[in-house]
Amino acid sequence: MRPFLLFLRRNQLAALGGAVLLLILAAIVFGPMVGPYSPTRLDVLNKLAAPSLQHWLGTDSLGRDVFTRVLYGGRYTLAIGTGVVAIAFVVGVFFGTLAGYAGGVVDQVIMRIVDAMLSFPALVLAIALAAAFGPSLSNAMLAVAITLAPQFARVARSQALAISVKPYVEAAISLGLSDLRILWRYVFANGLGPLLVQASLSIGSAVLQTASLGFLGLGAQPPLAEWGADVSSNLQFMRESPWVALSPGMAILLVVLCFNLIGDSLADWFNPRRRSEID
Amino acid sequence: MISFILRRLVALIPVLILVLVIVFSLVRLIPGDPAVTLLGPGATNQQIEALRQQMRLDEPVVMQFLNYVAGLFQGDFGTSLKSGQPVLDQILLRLPATLELSICATVVAILFGIPIGVLSATRPNSLFDHFTRVFSLVGVSMPAFLLALILQLIFATYLGWLPVSGRVSPYIVVPQVTGFAILDGLLAGDWGAAWDAVEHLILPTAVLAAFLAATLGRFVRNTMLEVMTEDYIRTARAKGLTRAQVTLGHGLRNSLLPAVTVVGLKFAEMLGGAILTETIFAWPGIGRFMFEAIKNRDYPVIQGTTLVFSLIFVLTSLFVDLLYGVLDPRVRRRMK
Repeated sequence: MRPFLLFLRRNQLAALGGAVLLLILAAIVFGPMVGPYSPTRLDVLNKLAAPSLQHWLGTDSLGRDVFTRVLYGGRYTLAIGTGVVAIAFVVGVFFGTLAGYAGGVVDQVIMRIVDAMLSFPALVLAIALAAAFGPSLSNAMLAVAITLAPQFARVARSQALAISVKPYVEAAISLGLSDLRILWRYVFANGLGPLLVQASLSIGSAVLQTASLGFLGLGAQPPLAEWGADVSSNLQFMRESPWVALSPGMAILLVVLCFNLIGDSLADWFNPRRRSEID
Repeated sequence: MISFILRRLVALIPVLILVLVIVFSLVRLIPGDPAVTLLGPGATNQQIEALRQQMRLDEPVVMQFLNYVAGLFQGDFGTSLKSGQPVLDQILLRLPATLELSICATVVAILFGIPIGVLSATRPNSLFDHFTRVFSLVGVSMPAFLLALILQLIFATYLGWLPVSGRVSPYIVVPQVTGFAILDGLLAGDWGAAWDAVEHLILPTAVLAAFLAATLGRFVRNTMLEVMTEDYIRTARAKGLTRAQVTLGHGLRNSLLPAVTVVGLKFAEMLGGAILTETIFAWPGIGRFMFEAIKNRDYPVIQGTTLVFSLIFVLTSLFVDLLYGVLDPRVRRRMK
């Protein structure tokens, strides 16, 4: 707990990002419980209403309350961000650690595949995969996770390469522990720090990419209140009612900004040269 | 140097083979029978069979792949299911528009990003530094489509200063020589056409450049802060060099080298962002072409555009590696 508090005290921007993120989390968890509107309830007599005390962010073209949809969309967005990174983390770290620990042909094969996947602009690969899988939120998440996994594999491999020559790993080998146990208890556990930094930096990218897929119609489908899809489906009302499309867009910006603030500070914290500046 | 280039080219071969495997697999990832999915529910058995033969789906997968690669080497990227035109021809037709946009965005990003990074690093923790750090963080966190919509709303819809979308106004007719609208306008001696192209270019360029400028600003700032703690900087100061000489001659020069890698890689990554930007600004490049292909489930076009994006990415990385050698004598020596 003490290192965590020290980190927050020395990284005020990260603390700010974390605090705003906690507020957003509280709003999206408890907001819809106390809010009077449903994200899918239509009210065509009250469509495209300007922001007011009844509808804080106005209503969309079908009369749905934009603020309620933004709150519900937040649930999806945070679930998407963490879900995508969790998938990418598990897959990438497994193959990266295996490559670094095993070496030889296994390393060569895995890393060439990683190199090939990193030879695409991430969004292009995600779009192409999502187009092949078919438009849906789960397919978009899978596509984004596939594009993020190679980055985890790279970090995990370099960690595994450095750790697998340490004396305690040699001692574990001498004790006759199985490869799987050594990988899990020593190689993975000791290389976790940089991987967590990578994870915190990746959540913002995951949210941005999935929202972009939603915007292009390759992610969440209507009437699901996903932020990227909500921006896209309200584009035609930008001139007269810009708040309808801009509200979910600004929500994406705010969440990604918070994650980037935390990720950036963590990256600095784990970098000894930059940390000396912070201290 | 030549042996280094050759080694880099040889190392590219397995990566390119795997890139081809991934692009080839895109159609095979379609759930169920790709021919049935592509033609939709109303297709007859004959149409499905004809498409299967056209796409050679009835052959063993290995043969399909080898035929696909052989076709690529002969410039055959397949035929668009929507227009019936060769995919490569349509990509080449649209490539100048995407390159024009990406190159302009890169130049703008360099012109803004590097000075911002340098000024921030020379005045760490100043008001300017805090402001630019926040600006940079917002820049990298901003969805490209959101920035595009905000700029369109302000500068095109409300103020009416710039066109909302498109590459040139419909009334402009200029013979296509290079495919680059500004250049073609200048070559034709039509200043009005060239200026019209510039006006159309401003908003999409700003959207694409924002991300790169923000990334570059952050990167140059962080690298310079590290470089300025090096021993040779202390030596330069001890020699009595002025602050500007130390900062520009030693600090900036050593910080710019890694920035070359960032610009190169982000330039290629920016092409991904071009899909969103081109779609919103109705910019007739390969990004929008890919988006339309996705809407029409035109898989040969999706494969072709994905491959071209990847090839540009790989070639840019190669170019950056080589440029690094040209710019840094230490790297050149290691290459030997």
